[in-house]
Amino acid sequence: MKNPYEVLGIKEGASEEEIKRAYRELVKKYHPDQYQDNPLSKLAEEKLREVNEAYEYLTGKGNGAKATSGWNGRNASYSPNQSTSSYGSGGSDSFAQVRMYINNGNILQAESLLETISIKNAEWFYLRGLIFMKKGWYNEASMNIKQAVNMDPTNFEYRNTLNRMNSSNNMYRGNASYRGYNSSPSFCDMCTFLWCSDTMCECCGGDLISCC
Amino acid sequence: MFGYIMPEKPELKIKEFDMYRAYYCGVCKSIGRRHGQIKRMTLTYDAAFLALLLCSILNVETKVKKERCMVHPTKKSFVIYNEIIDYSSDINIILAYNNIIDKWKDDKSKIALVGLVGLKRAYKKLHSKYSTKCDIINRRLEELSILEKNNCDSMDAAAEPFAKLMEEVLDYEKLDDNTRQILRWMGYNLGKWIYLIDAFDDLEDDIKNSSYNPLLSHFKYNGNDVCEFKDNIKEQVEFTLLYCLGEASKAFQLLAAKENKEILENILYIGMLSKTDKILCQRSCVKGEKSI
Repeated sequence: MKNPYEVLGIKEGASEEEIKRAYRELVKKYHPDQYQDNPLSKLAEEKLREVNEAYEYLTGKGNGAKATSGWNGRNASYSPNQSTSSYGSGGSDSFAQVRMYINNGNILQAESLLETISIKNAEWFYLRGLIFMKKGWYNEASMNIKQAVNMDPTNFEYRNTLNRMNSSNNMYRGNASYRGYNSSPSFCDMCTFLWCSDTMCECCGGDLISCC
Repeated sequence: MFGYIMPEKPELKIKEFDMYRAYYCGVCKSIGRRHGQIKRMTLTYDAAFLALLLCSILNVETKVKKERCMVHPTKKSFVIYNEIIDYSSDINIILAYNNIIDKWKDDKSKIALVGLVGLKRAYKKLHSKYSTKCDIINRRLEELSILEKNNCDSMDAAAEPFAKLMEEVLDYEKLDDNTRQILRWMGYNLGKWIYLIDAFDDLEDDIKNSSYNPLLSHFKYNGNDVCEFKDNIKEQVEFTLLYCLGEASKAFQLLAAKENKEILENILYIGMLSKTDKILCQRSCVKGEKSI
């Protein structure tokens, strides 16, 4: 096992409060949500596991296990395999096969199989978008996923992916302003941000600003 | 096309700035020492970034000296010496040589010819040292010129060869497989960002010279006002640019970067974002950055 202090990026003999703070930051950083469409997702998972282990080791079993299981529980609900089984059941066998290739990171095979499918429905465009995403062709990816959303506006999965793509850019910008970078009118940005968060919460069934 | 990867100086602490300059000077001096003084003119910020990044994840024996230099003879500054610095200087020469070949093919200018002759010997030596890397870089550039000749109308497809080229540049053989995979993804996204930001930056020139530009082809430019065209495509281009930066910084987070983390974060999170904003909005974008 690696030095747990090193894993958490803190000095040896750090207080419990410091350990907790570092742990929380790192979990946020390596959270599966952040790496869902990223080809490095497996490595991020591994990193998160290391962080969990280090935290567990430093805080003693009982406490750590609780935190870990909490996060593991969340991990499970975000794992790509599960989302496939819950959403992909409606599609044909070939679509399921394409999804499997995508999840295993087998992008070339996913691409060539998808090209052989003649039904160009919303799911076809969605999967094409996912493939482009993993390849790093972000413009094509967003075009295809938008197309999928237009063809099937009620589909939660398509809409969710589109939102996630957009929020990734906001997150990157947010990270810069957190470091002291400010572009221009911040008040306007803040409103947009609030509005975005509200919309996203509503998408997931919650609500941030109850009056609208 | 090079020199877009740089820190946001006002956001650096003074000690961080000194450290950044020590790397920058290190690469510069290494070029002079190993390839000839005149070739120091090809130095780019990208090579300094490469040196910083690789040094931050590798434990290499490093020497720091305080020295004068020809360009700034009055003041002494820190200079770093190690094998990564030498590697970055080699890569800098390889890229500069290919860049000049590209220029020569484009406009057959005398300056390009002089540069070409000057760099040829240094490049030949490096080609035998890094033959696989050089061959891959050559192949990518060939792919790129074919796409450009065919007037490729997808910005993703057009950016692919250069992204793959940068993937190769960031990949350092002595590292473990996981780290290399992360570096390759980082390189891919940085390359894509560089290619597209350069394309946006060159829009006016390319319209004037009626040369190929992926954005002109992608968005079907029909000869109307440039500013209007820029405004129309800005949002969509920004989406891809920021996504690339986001992915590159996510990859960076997975690296166990130890030294100079703050400087690298400054470059990835602030420097490159502010560059993007400046070029997209044309807000007092000063062309031709001076050396530091």
